[in-house]
Amino acid sequence: MGIDLIYGLLPEHILLALILALMVLECLRADRRLAGPLSTFCLAAGCLVLCRQLAEGYAFRLAEGEIAVDRPALLARLALLGCGVILGLCFHERFGSFKARLLLASSLLGGLLMMSATGFITLFIGIEMLSLPAFALMVQEGGTSSASEGAFKYLVLSSVATACLLFGASLCYHATGSLALATLAGSHPLAAPPLLAGAVLVLAGLLLKAAVFPFHGWAPDAYGSADLPVTAFLASVIKAAVILTVARLFCAAGSNALFAEVVAVLGVASVCYGNLAAIRQTSFKRLLAYSSIAHAGYMVFALADSSGSALETLLYYASLYAVTTVLACACFAMLAGSASDQLTAVEGAFHARPVPATILALALLSLAGIPPLPGFFAKLFVFRAAIASGHLLASLAALFGSYLGVFYYLRMVFLLFKPVTSGCRAELTVSTGWMRGGVLIATAVLVYCLVCPHCLSVKPGARSAQTGTGHTVAAPAQGYQLAGRVAVAAKIPSP
Amino acid sequence: MPDSLLMLMLFASPLVGLALLPILPKNSPLSWRLLAMLAMHGSLAAGVVLFACCNGQAAIGEVKLAWIDSLGVNLHLAVDGLNAYFLLLTVVVFPVVLACAWSSRQVQDRLFLALLLLLEVSLLGTFLSQNLMLFFIFWEAVLIPGSLMILVFGGEQSRKAATTFFLYTLGGSVLLLAAIILLGVESQQQTGHWSLELANLAGLKLSWHSQLFIFVSIALACAIKCPLFPFHSWLPLVYFEAPFSGTALMAGVLSKMGVFGLLKLALPLCPDVARAAAPYAVSLAVASILYGAVLALRQQDFKRLVAWSSLSHMGYIVLGIFACQESSLHGSLFQVLSHGLAVAGLFLVLSLLEQRVGEQYPRLNALSTLAPRLAVVTMLFILTSIALPFTSGFTSEFLILFGTFQQGMAAWRAGTSPVLLVCSVVACSGMVLGAGYMLRFGRSLLFGSTESSPIADLNLLEMISFAPLLVLILWVGIYPGSLMEKTKPAISSLTARSGQQPPRLLLSAHVQGASYGH
Repeated sequence: MGIDLIYGLLPEHILLALILALMVLECLRADRRLAGPLSTFCLAAGCLVLCRQLAEGYAFRLAEGEIAVDRPALLARLALLGCGVILGLCFHERFGSFKARLLLASSLLGGLLMMSATGFITLFIGIEMLSLPAFALMVQEGGTSSASEGAFKYLVLSSVATACLLFGASLCYHATGSLALATLAGSHPLAAPPLLAGAVLVLAGLLLKAAVFPFHGWAPDAYGSADLPVTAFLASVIKAAVILTVARLFCAAGSNALFAEVVAVLGVASVCYGNLAAIRQTSFKRLLAYSSIAHAGYMVFALADSSGSALETLLYYASLYAVTTVLACACFAMLAGSASDQLTAVEGAFHARPVPATILALALLSLAGIPPLPGFFAKLFVFRAAIASGHLLASLAALFGSYLGVFYYLRMVFLLFKPVTSGCRAELTVSTGWMRGGVLIATAVLVYCLVCPHCLSVKPGARSAQTGTGHTVAAPAQGYQLAGRVAVAAKIPSP
Repeated sequence: MPDSLLMLMLFASPLVGLALLPILPKNSPLSWRLLAMLAMHGSLAAGVVLFACCNGQAAIGEVKLAWIDSLGVNLHLAVDGLNAYFLLLTVVVFPVVLACAWSSRQVQDRLFLALLLLLEVSLLGTFLSQNLMLFFIFWEAVLIPGSLMILVFGGEQSRKAATTFFLYTLGGSVLLLAAIILLGVESQQQTGHWSLELANLAGLKLSWHSQLFIFVSIALACAIKCPLFPFHSWLPLVYFEAPFSGTALMAGVLSKMGVFGLLKLALPLCPDVARAAAPYAVSLAVASILYGAVLALRQQDFKRLVAWSSLSHMGYIVLGIFACQESSLHGSLFQVLSHGLAVAGLFLVLSLLEQRVGEQYPRLNALSTLAPRLAVVTMLFILTSIALPFTSGFTSEFLILFGTFQQGMAAWRAGTSPVLLVCSVVACSGMVLGAGYMLRFGRSLLFGSTESSPIADLNLLEMISFAPLLVLILWVGIYPGSLMEKTKPAISSLTARSGQQPPRLLLSAHVQGASYGH
């Protein structure tokens, strides 16, 4: 028990130690060049621990009804931490100070807590820790008035979401007498009015955080006014964490027809709205905001699956989406420089800097879901699950929505490859070795996900393949959720 | 398993070339070109040997690697009777296109060569994949290099053309993806496991409604890709704006993807609906033939003329497919080869003229005195296009019309529908119109009197590069029986599954006649 308390949450402990160390170093006014390498090292160590636990098939209930470590949780935490490492590497300069690293680490810690939460209290603590540092990151260093406006919107709507979540949780507690998430997921929402209201409020709160269609209003302003690195953080880690929480909360309820219909409609609406609105954007960050609304739509749409594989689908989708977004932001920053945010800044960039431009183009096409890029397979998993569950019409609508999405991704890809008419662009932005390393790792992760999307399956015999790379994010596999639960039930003793 | 090794070489050779291309030293365009040419020749060698080995009885060069089990995606490639011609066409046309662009300004750019290699790999993948999802992946992957080639190396409106090309063809494929997933669901329900292997899918029993949905999706995607009459509106912009090499590839090879989709997916997977939809499809094909021919008659610009003639000739292929009779299917497959070679050849001739004369090439005339060798080659391609006997155009169009007419007569006698018969008769007028516009093109380009200074004739490289096209054209024209053997079993199984039983007596007499060579 004692050793599990340490080992089970070791990544969280490492993050906590990192946060403390950064605080002390900040007080001591230590050399700020220390911040980046130190936190990258700690996050990578956390990833390695998670990989080891995955390889062992580690599963453990730390606090009954509040925190449990199982395979989906391990995979989700690995995805978030890996994404954090890549983000930290890609935007090494922006997150150069102790303060920024501190905020990043706190936010990640919140995300990790959410992933292993099985009760509302832990979930609540996690989600607050996830979003408040992000708010601080938006105003820190930026300091312009528009930044504070976007950040303020984010803060206010985030508080509304928190209120919804809390209220919903209280109602659920009233109806069932338990704060465990499994109670909400397991019981039929129509059984009692307070439970229904509670479920609706919890869902609304989480969807508000994830910026799904009717709750998306804050996203474009918040994304648009933050720095590109912070936008990347909002669109990748935070979005993935919230969506994965929704999946863990509701995927058992996926067999519920009413819930399936609601999420299918919300998903399709979000996909269509996000993609339509993105077509007219000229700024990269706003484009990213609308595209992230659309992607949240796909992920919510995946919840309509009734075959019980929604969590795997979402793990694959969310991790791929997060890494691809970070990669696209990093390449855009490489090509356009940190100052400019207009899409035209990367016009003809291929001819000046072919490698980052090619990677950016591939990342964008992957986000658009063009085969043979990994984003296509992520979408394929979603649509396969939806069509197999009988949502053919909704899937056709979502497919049409994703077709709309191709317009703006393609426009940007074509901008990159546009023939240069008047000489090469004079100023070339310098990319640091850290940045290049981050882009390289992210690309490697995506290629790995493309080549073997099933390498993380828990089917017997496939386990030995799990330890391979450091930052492998999740992959769907038929039935691993089941296996994870069996492992939990059997309380496999940890070594 | 030497033939599997050949299959690997077919794909590995361009991929290795693609990987080496960025490593080569800067400022040495010649080495880039040589590398790309070498890579294409690797594929050519492997492809030709595979084609020669293919006897139509069993799949050749089968490669099967598991990729994503849960989605039923396997890397399953093989040469069977149906895709043999497509394979040959692809591996032959690519080196020729590169050789004809050897001294143009595009090949000074590594990007162009990389796009060519990428395009070759994805086309080969489309034609050879035996797994439906793999087919779809390659089918879509073609769009990326294709549209980039138009964008970067195209004319003034290249961006619009590239966007049109990408979105139009992607639009057709969105439904196709839904249909593929639906087929997977059907396979799961009927056989208990999710499989997208084409061989397994052909054994499924689909309800009328599923078949209808799947057929419409496939037919729409293919009709846009071909293109077929009401779905052709991307064609003018894209063919005119693309660089000549790109247009040659699009009209020659990319358009054949649509044909291949119809043959490989639409007919075997939804035979009942295909039979029921045949009159409509055939009517559209005939509309294409006439529409393309009439528009070609009105063009002054050579590039536009050839582009519209391509629409007309693609109509014949679709006509032959939906007549679904053995000789018409043989004709369609020959037409794939014949039209691919001839139209690519014509566009390449125009590209050579453009390289030599610049923007003035549409006003060129009396080529036969200025550059006699070039004129002879041009004339041969023109004659193929108007289906002169002893060229491949004759074999294919004759077989298509003959088969369609037979099938139409049979249908008329049986009292079902006179549409096919009427269509086959009307389609014949397309040949007359074709002779009209092509000969007009030949006359204005090749003959007449001119004051202008002589232009450089074909050099050795260009002569060598046109040779395989002409040899194949004459081979199909003179001795088609040798090639027909390769596709015969595949076509028989196709007609057995999707066509009404053709009158056996006439057919067997005809096939013998065909192998004697008209």
